[in-house]
Amino acid sequence: MPTIASEMTTDNLESSSMASSPVNPNVSSRNRPPSSPLKQIPSDSLGPASDSLDSSNKKISADDMAFYYERLLPFRYVFQWLNHSPKPQKDFTMREFAYEHRSGAYQRYNSFESPEDFKSSVVRVNPTRFEVGAVYAVNPSERKTLPKSAMKPLEKELVFDIDLTDYDEIRTCCSKTQICTKCWKFITAATKVLDVALREDFGFEHMIWVFSGRRGAHCWVSDKRARSLDESKRRAIVEYLDILKNKGTKRLNLRRPLHPHIQRSLDILKPDFLTIIQEQDPWRDDEVAIQDLLSKIPNSSITDALKKEWTTKPHRSSLDKFQDISSMAQRLPKANDKKMVIEAEEDIILEVVYPRLDVEVSRQMIHLLKSPFCIHPGTGNVCVPFDANKEFNPMTSPNLRQIQGELLKYDEEHRGDDKKVANWDKTSLKPYTDLFTAFVKRLLASEVTGKRERDEQEPDLEF
Amino acid sequence: MFRSTKRRTAGRKNFESSIISSSTPNAYLANVYNNSKLTFYTLPPVGEITLDEFETWAIDRIKILNEIESCAARNKSYKEIESIVAPMIQQTLPLNSTNVEKLNRERQKDYYSHFILRLCFSRSQELRTKFLKNETTLFKIRYNQLTNAEQQQFVKSLNLPWDFISLEEKEQLSTKLFNSISASLGYVLQLDDVQKRKYFEQEEFIKIPFEYVTDLLPQRSIFLQRGTAYVPKFQQLQLLVNEFSAKLEAALISTSHAFPSLDEDDRILPILTHLSSGYSLNYSQDSYGANENSSDINAITVGSKEIVDQFPLCGQHAMYGLRTLHHLKYTARQQFTLFLKGIGLSLEDALTFWSGEFKSVSIDKFNKEYKYNIRHSYGLEGGRINYKPWDCRTILSKPRPQKGEYHGCPYRDLSSDSLARKLREMGLEEKDVQQILEISDKGDYTNACSRVLEVKTNGHVQEQVTHPNLYFDRMRQYTKSQQTEA
Repeated sequence: MPTIASEMTTDNLESSSMASSPVNPNVSSRNRPPSSPLKQIPSDSLGPASDSLDSSNKKISADDMAFYYERLLPFRYVFQWLNHSPKPQKDFTMREFAYEHRSGAYQRYNSFESPEDFKSSVVRVNPTRFEVGAVYAVNPSERKTLPKSAMKPLEKELVFDIDLTDYDEIRTCCSKTQICTKCWKFITAATKVLDVALREDFGFEHMIWVFSGRRGAHCWVSDKRARSLDESKRRAIVEYLDILKNKGTKRLNLRRPLHPHIQRSLDILKPDFLTIIQEQDPWRDDEVAIQDLLSKIPNSSITDALKKEWTTKPHRSSLDKFQDISSMAQRLPKANDKKMVIEAEEDIILEVVYPRLDVEVSRQMIHLLKSPFCIHPGTGNVCVPFDANKEFNPMTSPNLRQIQGELLKYDEEHRGDDKKVANWDKTSLKPYTDLFTAFVKRLLASEVTGKRERDEQEPDLEF
Repeated sequence: MFRSTKRRTAGRKNFESSIISSSTPNAYLANVYNNSKLTFYTLPPVGEITLDEFETWAIDRIKILNEIESCAARNKSYKEIESIVAPMIQQTLPLNSTNVEKLNRERQKDYYSHFILRLCFSRSQELRTKFLKNETTLFKIRYNQLTNAEQQQFVKSLNLPWDFISLEEKEQLSTKLFNSISASLGYVLQLDDVQKRKYFEQEEFIKIPFEYVTDLLPQRSIFLQRGTAYVPKFQQLQLLVNEFSAKLEAALISTSHAFPSLDEDDRILPILTHLSSGYSLNYSQDSYGANENSSDINAITVGSKEIVDQFPLCGQHAMYGLRTLHHLKYTARQQFTLFLKGIGLSLEDALTFWSGEFKSVSIDKFNKEYKYNIRHSYGLEGGRINYKPWDCRTILSKPRPQKGEYHGCPYRDLSSDSLARKLREMGLEEKDVQQILEISDKGDYTNACSRVLEVKTNGHVQEQVTHPNLYFDRMRQYTKSQQTEA
């Protein structure tokens, strides 16, 4: 969060206009003055971005964001997704939203009456991003007039957050905020494992994976059953999934036979592990890492032999080294020794590629998470939903600059057309909004409302 | 506009009239017990009992619950608790008569006493947690006393959303089921690999929505498939216990909401207050610093030899650490501040006392770094919670003191040599010292402390110490009585 706040202030004009209308995080957003017309300044003049995926990508200005909120963000689908019905109900109207303002101020407990109210408020406030929280028993924006105890969260999507920074000790291709297609493979592996576990073990069906815009992914589980879990149950689920929780420097040491969930994860991860090891190559020359690897092999005859082997053949690749361990194990005379080494290798696979979870994000019901389709303020990437079982490339996913251009170009080329096309369908956002609408449609169909949808017309996309 | 007095009969309509109206109290009880010897106590009792019965039944049950609590406070295992409490249950709260008349009387006592205590212990979160924990253990003990057939019958009567799986299904999922429970068969039932196989062959599995057994999830000791948990029968008790405690917790909270309406009845309330305080073994202080024991405790006297001699060993040890280092680390500060608060040291005196003792720390630094903590402990900062002094269980549950730390329980944390030295310094004779060392070695830390209290009061106080402040209070009462006699 602090990094974002400091990035924001590079925009001098913006921060001076903020100074004249300071945002009190507790003041209702409705009192804010409309944005100043002075901001019509070409964003190119604002200097290069400090970190970006794409060199042509510049800082995102307030105007860019206003344009995006006004014309491109599919509010109606976000609304339907959170509301679980076409008509506004408590799941939406009693839900908390938070704004992160351009000043860095964070404003919690906003709530909206309708999708129109939702959109117009976001457009007016023009935050750098907005986050989605829990559904409360009372209207969050009226919390001041209510006793503290009334603000109990009732429901919330079960969420998971995976971040590449948690893999820094093993990834060699990038560090900190940078990512590339190589290290994104950790996220792909993690999403596959979690997606299957949530479906097969817990029976959840309605989850959507969302690119966080920079170096991670979020998962939102929208099943009714998941939404109504209390915090202790959420914790239990995360602990079930989080097999690395007690991991120190020591070996994972899982009990055998492996629990079906772990066995299945291992089967899924094995091929990914080999690719990742090949590309990241963490054990080629790093003496400390090699020692660490050897210390996890519970057989001194093997480790001694390997030490010798690897000293005589320096720069042996990580993949070769890993396979050395396997082939040495095969030559062990005792079946039990062999088994132990193989098991240690399995533990290493899981240690390297098993999803690294943030427990608190999943456990706390009041925790807020950035909404899908927000723009990541640092990169300008759209937080697009993606399919856990298909390839997703964060390097080529839609960026605000790019889709702005696409929209303007389309409108230019189709001037005078009568056909009404939703703005996002004119850009490369289309496959992602299509994925999201299909997901939302399935979710709505599964909600047992008992009420028949009276309004079956195609909703007005340009509300 | 409103009728000023409600008609008496109207209130009764809230109860499930079908059961009440058509049956005598005995039939009603047979009904709620569903011919089993256990119940989840879902419906309130009907029928009249005398005030005398009201009180004695409740006391009998409280005694059992207190014993459970004191066992737990002494870190006894479930098996040990069971062996201590089972005879008591048999004596005062049995539920196994074969004579129908007698069984009904037993049921009546069990049922009413449970509900009376619900009233007693519903009033504060602390009391509720205590009651919940002890009643749940009681339930567990009783369930284990049932025969296999009785257990099955009881489970059936609950109508929980579970099924036993068929042989075919077990066959089909065999590998996954075995791999899921293999680890827990090892550490719960202590079976080796061959025994595990055998056990698994005969084990029955229950299917239930996973939400019912979330506490089995973190260890991954059950198999999950599409939201359904496959629970082996040997974990079934855990499932029942969860269900029992979840229901009871909800019931206690709704009881606490109903409590104000009891205000009208001047016969019941005094009994209830008396029951939940007087018979409570777990020492809990309701008024800090306001009792007759504490009038002379202030910033100067609190460190005097006379007062410190009345501290339990953990208090003396912390004081020793403070005097030696002129500082205490975080956990010890917490434990000791709250202990001193419990013996009646006011906030103002506490600040004077602590800043005086922290000789190596400048006043500025003290105000900046430590004052807040102390004020926080007194409920004047942050969440403004009026923290209670830690009881022995809390102290034992905290991380053990490292080198240079002075919190925790000396009977557990000190080496035999230094413990012996400390005990001699307290003026204990060699035979007592040896006896206390033996008790500590067995892990009965609170027993060791209780024994010290007994010796120091020449056998006058024979109470189970579950709280450092209890020790202090008893010690003080004894010293005062000795002084007045002299």
